[in-house]
Amino acid sequence: MGEPEAFDISAVKGMKFFDPHVHMTSRTTDDYQAMADAGVVALIEPAFWLGQPRTGLDSFRDYYSSLIGWERFRSSQFGIKHYCTIGLNSREANNESLAEQVMEILPLFIYKEGVVGIGEIGFDDQTAAEEKYYRLQLELAKEAGLPVQVHTPHRDKKKGTQRSMDIALEHGLDPYQVIIDHNNEETVKEVLDRGFFAAFTIYPFTKMGNERMVEIVKQYGAERIMVNSAADWGISDPLAVPKTAALMKMRGISDQDIELVTYRNAITAFAQSGQIDEADFNAQADLTQKFEGNTILRGGQQPRPDKSSIIIS
Amino acid sequence: MEAVKEIIWSVVKNNISLEPEKWLEDFIQSPDQPAQIAKVFVMLPRKTGKLLVAVNDDQQKALDKAGFGYIRNWTIDRLSRVWLLSNFTAVDEEQLYSTLDRLFLSAEVNEAVALYSALPFLPYPEIWVKRCAEGIRSNIGSVLEAIMENNPYPAAYLDESAWNQLVLKAFFTEKNIKLIAGLDERANLQLALTLIDYAKERWAAGRQVHPQLWRLVGKFINAEIFEDLKTGLQHYDQTEQRAIALAVTESDYQPAKDYINTFPELKLALADGSLNWNSL
Repeated sequence: MGEPEAFDISAVKGMKFFDPHVHMTSRTTDDYQAMADAGVVALIEPAFWLGQPRTGLDSFRDYYSSLIGWERFRSSQFGIKHYCTIGLNSREANNESLAEQVMEILPLFIYKEGVVGIGEIGFDDQTAAEEKYYRLQLELAKEAGLPVQVHTPHRDKKKGTQRSMDIALEHGLDPYQVIIDHNNEETVKEVLDRGFFAAFTIYPFTKMGNERMVEIVKQYGAERIMVNSAADWGISDPLAVPKTAALMKMRGISDQDIELVTYRNAITAFAQSGQIDEADFNAQADLTQKFEGNTILRGGQQPRPDKSSIIIS
Repeated sequence: MEAVKEIIWSVVKNNISLEPEKWLEDFIQSPDQPAQIAKVFVMLPRKTGKLLVAVNDDQQKALDKAGFGYIRNWTIDRLSRVWLLSNFTAVDEEQLYSTLDRLFLSAEVNEAVALYSALPFLPYPEIWVKRCAEGIRSNIGSVLEAIMENNPYPAAYLDESAWNQLVLKAFFTEKNIKLIAGLDERANLQLALTLIDYAKERWAAGRQVHPQLWRLVGKFINAEIFEDLKTGLQHYDQTEQRAIALAVTESDYQPAKDYINTFPELKLALADGSLNWNSL
């Protein structure tokens, strides 16, 4: 169904974008290049699961290391500043013996440079185990003075979102330091009314669409609202943020509000970690630099391959 | 269960040649099954092939009667694996659990499908509840189908929260709701309320609501739920209206019943008698 189409985001040419939720480990360099071309200057990659459950602690440790190491480097090769949030995700909290071990190594990672929050944590099925590790990580976030990136469940979302907020407030977190993610028409009002940041994932078929997003911004304004792509291994679009900005422009939303929703609010929220400095954005893409002897390039390629040619050399 | 295992063995034998038959029998007679099972379980398709099973009429009748008629849609490797697991002899419950758990942990897709299909046939059924709930977290389509569709285990053993997650996820991942065993028996108020929230989410997003959703709401209709049903009926989507009307017939809530009677088309469709959850 459908064919690849050329799309036009010239309406927002020259604007800068920030995608605060995108799983780059599951995306290719083609995506990095497309994001850079479309104006994405920085992103946040939350720690999540790999598509099937991890069975040992080393798997978590190596993954966290890759978020602050290789993936951050890969991103820099395209001129995109890569931040991450670190945490034990809701799904894998259900493996309690493993979860206990993961909790022990989290402090080794959350204070590292470029770690802008505890995330993405919260509920998946809303089990007792998920609640236990959500609460423990809220305490960790409080102690570390880090923002919290909350994944709201896709099933039973309304109640799950309410519970997530109730518990965060119960633990004494400032809602301004908590970003409630994957919102929709049914959750947005309460999230905003209670003082939290409301993030929206623009993701085809299963989550929010950007035409609906335009309506939400028209109804609620731009305060504390941000959009992200949550692009992952599924059918998703790493250009969701710039495309949404372009659509907003075409549908008459002010430049100021567009900037807030697709750039500024995300930075305001996560810069509370003390780890984001806009001066670091848009550093010249240095494609000759190496990370521990590895480059994205393999021996003498041009930095940008000519995709219109069938010749690969 | 012993009788069912016998029928399954007779089906398996009809679908494999003598050499794999002997190979399987040798395993069952082996004094050291726990040490052998991983290899035998994993290698099995190479011995049995992967064709769809052929079941004769007598076998089918007996299976239907026992509630396992659905295995006619399985391939021989899946059926043989299920037979193998159901006949696995461990020294005690602990060894059984640890041996099979290890198979789950390293299972590739077809192995996982066979493992979850085997749950109704394993001894000590309660020890697999957590594993079943974990399987429902999978994103792999065929694994979810093996748990959700034509599998009596979840309805028999999952607690209410885990059961509700199964049903929710079945709607989310567009599984065949009609094939969920125990769907009507395990309906509950919590699930009905969550599904109605889900319906409202779908409506707000301009998306259609699965007609089978209303099947799980009927028994719990009260004043508040009635308001949501009215919203649904105002959409004038014929399938949705009919599903809601059918759900209302399962309720005692008179205002809802009276309201349905104000829709002549629905009144007719119900009176006709052809409207049921299998036709929707």
